[in-house]
Parts: sequence; structure tokens; C-alpha cells
Amino acid sequence: MSLVIKKISLPLASFTLEMDLETRGRVTAVFGPSGAGKTSLLDLLAGLRRAKSAFIQLDDRVLTDTANGVFVPARHRGMGYVPQDLALFPHLSVRQNLLYGHKRADGANPLFSFDHIVEVLEIGPLMQRGVTRLSGGEKQRVALARALLTSPRLLLLDEPLASLDMKLKGRIMPYLTRIRDKFRLPMLYVTHDRWETLALADQIVVLVDGRVVQTGPVQDVFRRPASVVVAGLLAVETVQPGHIIRRVDELVTVAVGSIMLTAVEKNLPADTSEVHVCIRAEDVILLKGDAGVSSARNHLPAVVGSVTDAGPLMRVELSCGFTLTALLTKQACEQLALKPGNPVIALVKAPNVHLISR
Amino acid sequence: MSAEEWQIVWFTAWVSALSTLVILPGGLAAAWVLARYQWRGKTFVETAVTLPLVMPPVATGLILLKLLGRRGAIGGFLHDTLDFDVVYTWRGVLIALGVMSFPLLVRSARVAFEEVDSRLEQIARTLGAGNLRVFCTVTLPLASRGIVGGMLLAFARALGEFGATIMVAGNIPGRTSTLSLAIFQSVQLGQDANAFRLLGVSVVLAFAAVWSSEWLMRRKNR
Repeated sequence: MSLVIKKISLPLASFTLEMDLETRGRVTAVFGPSGAGKTSLLDLLAGLRRAKSAFIQLDDRVLTDTANGVFVPARHRGMGYVPQDLALFPHLSVRQNLLYGHKRADGANPLFSFDHIVEVLEIGPLMQRGVTRLSGGEKQRVALARALLTSPRLLLLDEPLASLDMKLKGRIMPYLTRIRDKFRLPMLYVTHDRWETLALADQIVVLVDGRVVQTGPVQDVFRRPASVVVAGLLAVETVQPGHIIRRVDELVTVAVGSIMLTAVEKNLPADTSEVHVCIRAEDVILLKGDAGVSSARNHLPAVVGSVTDAGPLMRVELSCGFTLTALLTKQACEQLALKPGNPVIALVKAPNVHLISR
Repeated sequence: MSAEEWQIVWFTAWVSALSTLVILPGGLAAAWVLARYQWRGKTFVETAVTLPLVMPPVATGLILLKLLGRRGAIGGFLHDTLDFDVVYTWRGVLIALGVMSFPLLVRSARVAFEEVDSRLEQIARTLGAGNLRVFCTVTLPLASRGIVGGMLLAFARALGEFGATIMVAGNIPGRTSTLSLAIFQSVQLGQDANAFRLLGVSVVLAFAAVWSSEWLMRRKNR
């Protein structure tokens, strides 16, 4: 899949959505705070809204080109759109909802046959019910199936898990990964949840106030947020002001208060001395007892402040001269028997200490 | 009840029902356009559509009489070219009832259309539906409650119409006499017994209309 979005200009309430973007990801996460223009972007792609100027091309097909008066109507775009409120037809049964956009036999891709989609999303038992009598998770699956049944070329998902609680999210996520893997269908996935992004997407586009602030492979963007704004959005939990003490090629020694950290950073301007030190909570390893010798460059004696439930993981707040956040699995947390006040040692590898100049 | 009275009841019922059906397509179209589109001068159209509701019915009737009479702009044309008369015929009754009940239908239907979530219509489009299919399979079914309610209001208004009807169609026994006109005439002539019989029929008709629409809606919601 290749999706090209160029010369977008769409005035919204408090800013203008302006972007140029090209993505070849299988699942591209459109990440940003609410009100960043994410839904407007999906509406533009689906042909539900017209921009002042826009060029949108999916693979070899130009869908919108305001400069040349091209505008393919929504019903011919081949976009499967699952909006945030799902928009299931309340006056129709589950079966009638599913069949509303079902294109039979054309293209004849058996993957997108009615029976296969109903089977993959386990909708069979819901078939005769009215959609108003479904639970949140069931509605979500029906809306996904309805979009898939149009044999779309691109699936647009607008915060599909946002309205569900942690437990339900965990139950719906496997369906999304199944869609990604079984149907080999490219998706544009709007979200403001890092966990969903990491679990599902390979590319990420970070959108703030209608502008793309960073884009690239998910792992890269999470490891190397381009600015403090992006770091904050991606919830890179630890962002501390630091001061560069020494640089030897790419190896940087930085002081956060009285604590010395070692970082590997190649993209830092040569004259930088003041930086934001960013450490992702997943990159912090905790040890109880003696650290011994380890390859990790940063050994930080710390005291556990709090331990809280964060969905599939536990969030541990540490104090080590500054506040450092770690994310651990529940098993790890139990094994270490972490309680507030416990002394631990936090290990962080130098390449996982990311510096952004300030 | 006499045969004449039965004729009046029957005539009133069917001409009211027919007027509601006749204004239905135009009423729905006007309601839909008012609900979905914005344009300069929309307020003027809104006001014009509502006018028969707030003007004295007799005044509306006078306007219709002047337009539809043999010397009127429309009536003259119809008479001269098609040899077709409206004033003082059942067609005059039909038009008077339609004009008077039109605003009630449009107002109800417009609210009903406005309450349909336009997101549902948009998503129907992404599912491959064209405008007509979206209207027939999403908009109309979801607005049906309000539309049926508006039709009932229009029908009820037509049943009781007096002022415009008497101006345009007169009160010709056996031809244009409706329940309201007949009741008024009976009272004028001091025939209270006749008036009360017709009054009773009016109550039954109105009750049947409201009850059947309630029944329809309940069945639909099941």
C-alpha cells in the first residue's frame, strides 16, 4: 500500500489542518491529542469532507485532487471507515447492518466473503439481534465486520478502543491483529494510546494542532521523539532537564541534578549543552539486591515510591535523585515483591537515554 | 343519522386523508431541504412555509380564492385552457385543506430529519450507497416516527378546517360541505340535535386517527 496525502489545507475551528504525508506502512497509527485534526483527516480520506486544497492518492488511484477538480465520491473510494461512535444503523438488525455494504463476488476474494468475516470476528451468535442490544465490544466487532464486507482497499479506524475499558480492550485487540494479519489490509489507525500503537502499528504519524510533527517507524519514533511535545504525547514517562558534562563522539555524559547518566546520541547539535533527558518506562530494568557487573551503563540506586496498575503492566515510580518511571509485567512485580520504600537498583542502557536539546 | 350526514362524514374523512397524501411528497422534500441545507434567504422560505399556520385561515382562504377563482392568475388559466374549475368544488376543499395543514407536516418532518444523525448517512455512503439509497434506507426509516406524527397532525388539522374552506369552496350541501361547516350551519339554523350528532362523529374520527397512529408506532418499535 502506498498512501500519498499532499497539499492538505482544511480550516478547522481553531487551526488549519495542513499536512504532507506519504506512508507505506501496513498499519499506520495517526497519533495525537484529541482535537488535533485526526478525525478530520479520516473524513478527508473517506471523501466525507472537502478541503480547500488536497491531493490524496491510494496506490495508483487519485481520489482527490482539488487542483484538477478530481473528487471521487465517498461511495466509490473503497475505504472501510469505522468511526469512533461506530454509526451502526439502529433500525437494522446485525445481519442487515453487515449486508448493507456487502459487495458479493466482485473481485471474488474469498477472504472477504460473508462467512469468513463472520467467522473471524465471531459474529454468528449475534446475527439476529438488534444492534441496540449489543455490548460495547460486540458493537465494535459488528462495525469492523461491516466495513470489511465492502472489500475495502484501506481500513480507516477512528479510536476503535477508546470507549472500551482496559479489560475489553485486551479482548478486542486480538481481533484487530487478526484483521491485520489475515486480510493483509492496510489500516490507518487513529489513536492517542501508546499501548495500542505499539501493539498494532508499524508506522506512526504524530499530529498536533493539524500538523505532522514526526513520522516514521513506531519503534524509532518512540525511542527518539523529535521534540518534548512528542515525548510528552507518546508518554515517554521520564522527561527531565539535564546538562551535558562531556561528549566523546556519540557517547554523552549528562547530569540530571547530581545524578550522572550516560547516553548515546548522534543527532544532537554540537553546541548543545542544555537537554531534555527522555527515558521510556519500558527501558528501565529493576534489580533487588546487588547489581554486580552489568552491561547497562547507568546504575541508579533508587527507592520505590508507588506501584500502580497500568492495564497489562504495572507502573513503578522511583526516586533516584529525580523521578524515574518503570513499566514492569505483573509477574516481575510480584517476584520482586515491590513495596513503597523498598530500595532497588534501576538499570538503563546508554542507547535508551534519549537527549533532546532545549 | 341521515344519508346526507353520512355523506358529509365520508366526504370530510376522505378529502382530509387525500389532502394529507397530496402534500406528503412536497412536504417531505421541503422538510428535508430545510433540515439539511443552508442558503441565503432560507429564513424567507421558512417564514413563507409557516405563514398559513399563523395567518387567519379566512385571510389565507381569501388569497386562495383570488388566485384560484375564474378571474385569478391560476384559476383563470385552468378555466380557459383546461376548462377546469377549482373554486366551489371538492378540489377547492382539497386545496384549502392541503395549504392549511402543509406547515404542520413540514415542521414535524423537519425536526424528524434534523434528529437523524448525519454521521449515519455519511457512513452509509462509505458503504457504497448513493443519495437515493441513503435517503430511503437510513434517513426515512429513522425519521418515520416524526413523519407519521406530522401526517397525523396534518390530517387532524384538515378534519377541523373551517375558515379557508368556506372561502374557497363555500358550503354547498352534497358537494363541498364538511363536518365543521355542517356543524356551524346546524347551529345557525337552530338544529342543535344535528349539530350534536355531527359533533359525536368528529370525536370518534379524531380518536380513531390518534389511536391508529399510536398503534402503528408501537408496532413499528417492536
